[in-house]
Amino acid sequence: MNAALFAVGIYWDLPVLLVIVSLVYAATRHDRWDRILSEAFGWGIRIALFLFGIGLTLFLLSTYL
Amino acid sequence: MASASPKSSSEPIELPLPPVKIDPLAAFLSYLIPGLGQIYQGRIGKGLLFFVGLYTLFFYGMWMGQWRNVWLPDTFDLPDVVIAGQRLEGVPKAISYRPQFLAQFWIGTASWPAIYQYVKFDRTKDEGPPPFKKFQRAPNEEQLNDLQRNSSKRWDLGWVYTVIAGVLNLLVIYDALAGPMFRDPPKWIEEQASETASKAATEKVAAVAAPPPPSEVPAPPVPVAHTPDNPQGGVT
Repeated sequence: MNAALFAVGIYWDLPVLLVIVSLVYAATRHDRWDRILSEAFGWGIRIALFLFGIGLTLFLLSTYL
Repeated sequence: MASASPKSSSEPIELPLPPVKIDPLAAFLSYLIPGLGQIYQGRIGKGLLFFVGLYTLFFYGMWMGQWRNVWLPDTFDLPDVVIAGQRLEGVPKAISYRPQFLAQFWIGTASWPAIYQYVKFDRTKDEGPPPFKKFQRAPNEEQLNDLQRNSSKRWDLGWVYTVIAGVLNLLVIYDALAGPMFRDPPKWIEEQASETASKAATEKVAAVAAPPPPSEVPAPPVPVAHTPDNPQGGVT
């Protein structure tokens, strides 16, 4: 993938959003730390995959269409 | 219904949960400052997580937007807004021009300077009254154009972060009001269930180890006749 894509500043701001949203959302669903952390990890993975999928799709569309 | 404290790994015990306690004071505290209601309830770790997480997200978003993406606009010279035949005035009209603030508001006191700036707005001056001055003051059209033109997409992404922080605090307020979505039994119920389970297990072991009562003396052996299959006869 194009290295210039990752040079754009806004992509480096996404991990902050991803980590905080996962942790806070998981903590509103459980009280026990083991459950909070495991659910936050699951949400983090899902959000990251979703964002990566969207990014990849847009990259492919802009490159090959 | 939660299950916890199993007798064994294959037999989970269904433990009753106490009724949900509604705590409006904690909810209000969590509105003022994210996590304060949870800290008031004694859930200090979670409260600190909410406080640090949501304020980090909100102020990080403001920083990305050069501290100029949370405001409520002055609508004096803006065209009328009519919704369902009603002409909007005051705060509703301001929100119709800046709907982001409807979500940013739920971060609590961190968004109150915007309300203060809106109330004290003086269009003849470049900044609001101290101590806030330009903090959360509505930018004029020229400043807004510069912000959007000169900062790539970061200015826009910044207000999205502040909006997400505000919306997430709604979930935090609900957590303070009525607890988490998936509740665990309180410790005293788990301890009680654990004691009951261990007591039952002890009684079961004692019953197996004890000698049979006198009435359950085994029956005498039944004599078996000599047959070709059993030439010795007797008890097998």
